[in-house]
Amino acid sequence: MGATTSVRRTIDAVWRMESAKVIAALARYTRDVGLAEEMAQDALVAALEQWPDEGVPRNPGAWLMTTAKRRAIDQIRRRENFNRKVEEIGRDVQEATPDASEGIEDEIGDDLLSLMFTACHPVLGTEARVALTLKMLGGLKTEEIARAFLVSDSTVAQRIVRAKKALADAGVPFEVPEGPELATRLASVLEVIYLIFNEGYSATQGDHWMRPELCAEALRLGRVLAELAPKEAEVHGLVALMEIQASRSKARTGPGGEPVLLLEQDRGKWDWLLIGRGLKALERAEALNQPPGPYYVQAALAACHGRARKAEDTDWQRIATLYQVLAQISPSPIVELNRAVALSMAYGPAAGLALVDEIAGEKALQGYHLLPSVRGDFLLKLGRNQEAKAEFEKAAALTRNEREKTLLLERAAACD
Amino acid sequence: MRFMVFVRSPKPLAALHRDSLLRAGVLLDAGDLVPEAYGVSGYWLIDVRSREEAVERVRRIPLPACVVEIREVAVV
Repeated sequence: MGATTSVRRTIDAVWRMESAKVIAALARYTRDVGLAEEMAQDALVAALEQWPDEGVPRNPGAWLMTTAKRRAIDQIRRRENFNRKVEEIGRDVQEATPDASEGIEDEIGDDLLSLMFTACHPVLGTEARVALTLKMLGGLKTEEIARAFLVSDSTVAQRIVRAKKALADAGVPFEVPEGPELATRLASVLEVIYLIFNEGYSATQGDHWMRPELCAEALRLGRVLAELAPKEAEVHGLVALMEIQASRSKARTGPGGEPVLLLEQDRGKWDWLLIGRGLKALERAEALNQPPGPYYVQAALAACHGRARKAEDTDWQRIATLYQVLAQISPSPIVELNRAVALSMAYGPAAGLALVDEIAGEKALQGYHLLPSVRGDFLLKLGRNQEAKAEFEKAAALTRNEREKTLLLERAAACD
Repeated sequence: MRFMVFVRSPKPLAALHRDSLLRAGVLLDAGDLVPEAYGVSGYWLIDVRSREEAVERVRRIPLPACVVEIREVAVV
């Protein structure tokens, strides 16, 4: 039993490493991502049947690729009108198994990139894009995706079937988009990766094992993308943002699982290796001299904290400036509220209060408890205790989080 | 899971073939160690999903006549 278990674990590892490449290469020949994914799955089933008895082949990736291609040929032969494609694949199977020469690496890279763009195609809804990306590029099993998102296996399976059908119906070509289309399509890929990361990072409920796995998966996808598309500054921006955020994962919750605010975190628990990687990714983005995108600016903001060994060393003036840049590229009252906090830290509470009063009328902020909470904080620092008290009480009435409510009422009581 | 991979080679290895690890998005850090009795050596720090993956990834890198040690990094 021990040997079988160990072979299964090896198959798991090989699958995670190779499945995306197998699917991508097959999709290039068949021009059908759905078929490619099914044939790759068939090859996995064959491996699970054969490897425990015959042993793991010396080049398991090539074995999976060859097996999947043979299945694809069988499958296509059954559909007679695909004759031409059979010839193409048939020729390729005759060719030598690939080794890691440079040309082939580039070809694999193009295929992987095409697969990323296809899985994240805007014709698909967000959930479908996330599920397809994790399945086809991360090599996750349907049940693993289901556990991570707290939905049933059949929900995820259906999502994937429908997504593959939607891609086929829309006739989405298997390619790396070019020209003006590239920017919007890349934004869609980055959005999916960051969504996966945040799903793992921000949710406090759910499977404790799968959540960090999602963060790790998103980071891996981002790092792979950074090597595949090294000339896109926003890719490095996203990688930098994820590396720096991930560096705080051990410091951001207390012993009881309660969130610990950034400025109160024990920076000794930050992962300085990841911070260093994040800063390097940021430098790669800067070296490309492109106009700053939202991921780059958010990463630059995270880096201001990451560079400070102690909270009081934080460069708040730079943070305030960066929020201003962010407000220009993706305007939002929440960004303005953050800018107000940065302004107060950099230039005093009066500067923060002025901005908060400017944006207080924004529709998006109505009913948002952080607005009165932040305003109360500025007022308290200015010695206007009674006004501060009213703001904290207002905030307490707006929040739905009990712990936060208690905290705000305590602050209100302390104003007297 | 993080693994530290030590490679001891009787002769210098050019950049320790880090490309495949870099492309796979698993390489966190790499470096050379000061030469000692058993030739020149270096290390990779990788972030992978399992010990099996660490072994499979390293197994594919051509490392002729090298001694390779794969150790899991403790989580504190």
